[in-house]
Amino acid sequence: MAQESALYQAIVNGNDKQARAATEEALAAGVAPMDLIQQSMVPAMDEVGRLFEAQDYFVPELLLAARAMKGSLELIKPLLSASGQKMAIRVVIGTVKGDLHDIGKNIVASMLEGGGFEVIDLGTDVSPQSFVAAVEKRQPQIVCMSALLTVTMPAMKLVIDALKTAGLRTQVKVLIGGAPVTMQYAQEIGADAYCDNAGAAVGLVKSLLAKEAA
Amino acid sequence: MPIGADLVLHEEPDPEQARNDGAALGRVIEKTARRWATPLAIPLMDLRLEKADLLACAGVPASDAEKYHFTSPLHECTIAALCAGQSATLCRGSIARDQALSYIASLPDLVPVGMAIGPFSLGSRLMPDPITAAAMAGSGVAPEDSDEVRLLWQCLRIAEAAVQRSVRSQIAHGARAIMICEPAACTAFLSPRQLKAGSRLFEQLVMEPNLRLKAVLDAAGCDLIFHDCGELIDLMVEAFANRLHPVILSLGGSRKLWEDARLVPSDVVLYGNLPTRSFYSDGAMPVDEVLRRTAELVANMKACGHPHILGSECDVLFVPEAREAILAKVDAMMAVAAQPILS
Repeated sequence: MAQESALYQAIVNGNDKQARAATEEALAAGVAPMDLIQQSMVPAMDEVGRLFEAQDYFVPELLLAARAMKGSLELIKPLLSASGQKMAIRVVIGTVKGDLHDIGKNIVASMLEGGGFEVIDLGTDVSPQSFVAAVEKRQPQIVCMSALLTVTMPAMKLVIDALKTAGLRTQVKVLIGGAPVTMQYAQEIGADAYCDNAGAAVGLVKSLLAKEAA
Repeated sequence: MPIGADLVLHEEPDPEQARNDGAALGRVIEKTARRWATPLAIPLMDLRLEKADLLACAGVPASDAEKYHFTSPLHECTIAALCAGQSATLCRGSIARDQALSYIASLPDLVPVGMAIGPFSLGSRLMPDPITAAAMAGSGVAPEDSDEVRLLWQCLRIAEAAVQRSVRSQIAHGARAIMICEPAACTAFLSPRQLKAGSRLFEQLVMEPNLRLKAVLDAAGCDLIFHDCGELIDLMVEAFANRLHPVILSLGGSRKLWEDARLVPSDVVLYGNLPTRSFYSDGAMPVDEVLRRTAELVANMKACGHPHILGSECDVLFVPEAREAILAKVDAMMAVAAQPILS
């Protein structure tokens, strides 16, 4: 049972020190790194997302959980690389050109990472060219864009247009979010999906990929 | 009235030049007040100015200020210098803001209103991950046990000093009221779960510095207009309304003002709070919906009898592709306000 794992509990409780200790202990006991991710970390972040949806947790609890998860992941990642294993799904994420807001983007990135995805965070004020370059180089399945301002939202369309021009649009699913963004706007600019909160991002990405596979 | 100076600013031939030119900015603010027939000359909501001025003291150029964050705890001597505002020089935007205030103060029929970011919101902009630091502090992590928590408290100290400097400068240039904007004082930064468990974080990070700021305003005979468009819980609204006791309390679109009226003393005017962030989109917010929401708000505020100024949930930003859509909805909102209420 995932819930019985010390790592699971430490992440849900947002305790980074306990999460690292539990990870070290599990690895020393011979638990496979990928098993720690799949059987403790992913279920823990799912639970954190559920508590957020239920308004029992808020953004600060999400971030504490993400911090605990990242601390654990730092210990696990080198072992995965050494054994040739990697995350199956890669996501490129960034806040669009002209916008320096990163809180929502960071939370979504953490939730996706906790959901078992490899996340390449391009940061804030990211130009369309930088998104295109990242897609070309890193070959992600998903591109996530964030904007907090009505004045910077149009940059999302510029990224989608740039992906089309570069012939990369069909290779990726584009997900957008941010305070002023709506489903309507996502449809208008040709994004594949819109997400109104970080907790739902993991589920949405999974459903996008499931549709693609079907 | 909307907080609409940004819309009017972008009618200027060169908005960026006007933003940094006190005379031009003063005329924009005057034009904004006259367009929406209000005596309150609300300025541009440019919450970058105090950060630029503060970081100038640390040698960071204004052009780099927005992206700049402190990443490790500061030395006490640095904090003392930043708090004292040593070698302080105002950025062009702050100089223009103050000059514009002086211009408005010379007009007998308008109330010169200043604007500043709140201490907590400025402090949060000085570090890369303020929410995690605040959450750690709220879970009981002491400054001596965490660099992030220590930096949070340090940033709050220097931010408070910078906001007080800004406010004093604006008062010296004629401000009779100052709008303090604290959008970070919300549930995204401060966990209701932690507050419920007894954390004093909201008190320490938000209320204490703002109460000291209010004392500065009171001493100068300057009114406080308090604006927080973040997601709030009742405890926060009550504290702002009763303990800061602003003349006007401006809240975000997620609040039902007629329900909040029970939390707010009758001498605190509620301002707001149409969801103007969505005005750019005819799909998400058609004119009919603006009319419906405005009528609902006006009728409910009249029914509850609390003093209210109809307005926007925040500043109404100019969006090049959506200028006409935004203006049409602002006009629709104002048209409803001009109509008599049918009972």
